[in-house]
Amino acid sequence: MRENLSAFHVTILIFMIQFGVVLFNLSQIEAYYFGMNGWLILFVVFAIVTLNILLIGIVYRLGNGRSIFEIFEEALPSIIRIPLYIFLTSLWGLLGSLLGKQYVLIFQMIAFPTSSTMLIKLLIDLLGFYLVSKGIYTISKASSIFFWLVIWTAILFLFLMKEFEFVRLTPFIFREHKDYLEGFFYVYPAFLGFEFSLLLFPYVNKKSKLIKSTFLGNLLLTIVYLIISIFSFGFFGYHLLKELQFPMIELFACIQLPFIERMENIIYGFFLCTTIITLVFYFWSAKEALSRVFPKVKQNTLGIMIIAITYLISFCAQVLNDVETWLRYLGYLEIGVAVGLPLILIMILLLQRKRGGIIDK
Amino acid sequence: MLKKNNQPQSISELIQKEKIQEGQLPPTLSYTLQEFEDCSDLTHRSFPQKKVDILYFGNLVDKDQLERDVFQAVIYTNMDTQTALSQSQFIKVVDSKECIHGILAGGAAVFYEEQAYMIEIAAPPSRAITPSQADPVITGPHEGFTEEASTNLSLIRKRLQSSHLKVIKLHVGEITKNDVYVLYIKDIVRMEFVEDMKQRIMDIEMDAVFDTNMLLQLVEDDVASIFPQYLTTERPDAIASKLVAGKVIVLMAGSPTAFCAPSTFFEFFTSSDDYYQRWLIGTSTRLLRFIALIITISFTALYVSITTFHYEMIPESLLLTLSESRSRVPFPPLIEALLMEATIELLREAGAQLPTKIGQTIGIVGGIVIGQAAVQAGLTSKILIIAVASSAIASFVIPSYEMSASLRVLRFGFILIAAIYGNLGLALGLVAVVIHMCGLTSLRSSYLTGIAPLKPKDWKDIFIRAPFSMLRTRPSQSKSTNNVSNKMKR
Repeated sequence: MRENLSAFHVTILIFMIQFGVVLFNLSQIEAYYFGMNGWLILFVVFAIVTLNILLIGIVYRLGNGRSIFEIFEEALPSIIRIPLYIFLTSLWGLLGSLLGKQYVLIFQMIAFPTSSTMLIKLLIDLLGFYLVSKGIYTISKASSIFFWLVIWTAILFLFLMKEFEFVRLTPFIFREHKDYLEGFFYVYPAFLGFEFSLLLFPYVNKKSKLIKSTFLGNLLLTIVYLIISIFSFGFFGYHLLKELQFPMIELFACIQLPFIERMENIIYGFFLCTTIITLVFYFWSAKEALSRVFPKVKQNTLGIMIIAITYLISFCAQVLNDVETWLRYLGYLEIGVAVGLPLILIMILLLQRKRGGIIDK
Repeated sequence: MLKKNNQPQSISELIQKEKIQEGQLPPTLSYTLQEFEDCSDLTHRSFPQKKVDILYFGNLVDKDQLERDVFQAVIYTNMDTQTALSQSQFIKVVDSKECIHGILAGGAAVFYEEQAYMIEIAAPPSRAITPSQADPVITGPHEGFTEEASTNLSLIRKRLQSSHLKVIKLHVGEITKNDVYVLYIKDIVRMEFVEDMKQRIMDIEMDAVFDTNMLLQLVEDDVASIFPQYLTTERPDAIASKLVAGKVIVLMAGSPTAFCAPSTFFEFFTSSDDYYQRWLIGTSTRLLRFIALIITISFTALYVSITTFHYEMIPESLLLTLSESRSRVPFPPLIEALLMEATIELLREAGAQLPTKIGQTIGIVGGIVIGQAAVQAGLTSKILIIAVASSAIASFVIPSYEMSASLRVLRFGFILIAAIYGNLGLALGLVAVVIHMCGLTSLRSSYLTGIAPLKPKDWKDIFIRAPFSMLRTRPSQSKSTNNVSNKMKR
């Protein structure tokens, strides 16, 4: 009997794919681009993402839960399909790899500045491969455990509550903002990951409530982002916040317990749990797409190939700035995929329906 | 030898050989004696006037019963031998294999003319029922299993007086032919688990299996894993509760240990005591064990990580004490920690190998003297002694010896990786362990059931020990078709 992902696991999985190290500078981006009370932009992004999830829901409904690859294979000739799969593999593989590198480089700002970035990244990629090789159900189970390992850190904010002041939030909305559109393209990638629910179609059943679970995952993410952003604005104040590179790290550095202080590196260590799920899912998705191009090659071989090639490519982005630039451009492409892929699939499915190719179950 | 083999064999010899191969040879005295050739512990009593021969292992049979039920009943009686052998205690055997197995199992074989009879008079040496050394409890029953399977089965039957308790008998070991018993409660257990376990045991093709702990390694899902995948116990009450929870139990003759399958990681942190004490006490103890788990794995590793890379994490007041203590130590924290951890492990092993009283002395003397001397000699810091001792004590809080031992080994891995990449190393280690555990199964059932897959209703018997009125269902891992275990109104 084939195991199906439960609704809870889909919710947590989507949340964990979306949740990543962008959290550490999200409030700074909000302050820099949207000015005072910039955290309000999260509501706008949440609404747009919800619309995007609805598009995915339409695909799921029209396709009767069939795999998107099957839909493509029925509708598109291989001359279009194979380049599309190669494009998706490259995009997802590179995003996964660079997210791992970004995590390492940020860690090296706190500790181990002289250690080899690529050696640490190699260890993370090996762990990533280990999890990818175990398949989607183990990835989903691991994401649930990692969720608990990360979410408890929220309790630590209680130690900083006395420093929080509502007056720092100011009564102004978006005053001193910069380019809204540019800012939007910085904030939207923080929500990316929900689009992978497209790849979960074959692994869910009706009980999984895929679209509702994806929506809930996104809602949970928005709530977490809101809490952290509001807290950052109330803790640092707008003027200081826009100058800080990683406000979250500064926040954690302020926590002092009787036996321990400067906990940012240990807390940041826990965020490896969420980073690993994000990058693993990018790798897993890349492997799924590539397995359609090379159906006879073993899944693990494809996985190791993607991770190895993208590892070598990630040598090109040497410093954090380079990595962030790469991630920004790849993020634009991924936004395109998140919106474009469901739209293309809807068109294909509507055409198929018009031709009578699909019978509603 | 070659010449002998080439000699033509008679038809009767060929038939006999074929029958031996098929295991259908009728039991004869000569064949049985030939099988037990050079077995000096075999007793052969011959009574030519009665045309009776009796074979048995003197040290396996009950001497009184032998005298009463065999000699008095067959030899020293006026009854005709054939009539005497028709008494109910004698069972006629038609297969030589059956006869040989019966003698080996402690029975006596009586040969009369061309016929053979078996009588069960086994009384192999066994010890009395004593409290379990491995699973001691403060409250609750103190009986522990013995090496005698029949005693163990009776201890379980005594607690579960239900016809639904089923016992399947299997054999393992090509030479040892040990009896293995698979127990389950019909209509509670999921039969796929029983079939799977039976198949795994039947698939064992090994000369000898001596103990349940050896057997369970042969039926594990992942032999490479550091974690034990089946919970073992020596307590009949614990086994009875696992049976009621819908688990499959495996017992083995010659072993005082039973194991239950499938098991979750969290079950290794439970003890019978949790249920015999009031729920609040049981819950506190259980939470304490999970804290012990964190301490066992992380304390020494954190010390190494902080003192090697992250001094900034220590508050100023504590930093002075630590620096002063560390200033006299000539080694890096890793060597210092490994030295002390190795010492603790040596003391633990010495304590385990020696008789109880000497073991205790070694523990106290070793712990105090070596610890004190190591600090005075400047080989280690005082804080490390506290960290190592705390994590060692914490490891002993974990009720399962197998899990405790696994965690102690795992701790060394964490220490090593902390020495290389500090807190990042600890995070890498944690992620690796979680990934491994997520992929691990026990009898094809997730090892982390309760959290992954998430089953919140199980939490009241995982992280806490909720009042009995709240423990209404069997664990999710059992996938029992009859899930409700408690229908009390309050």
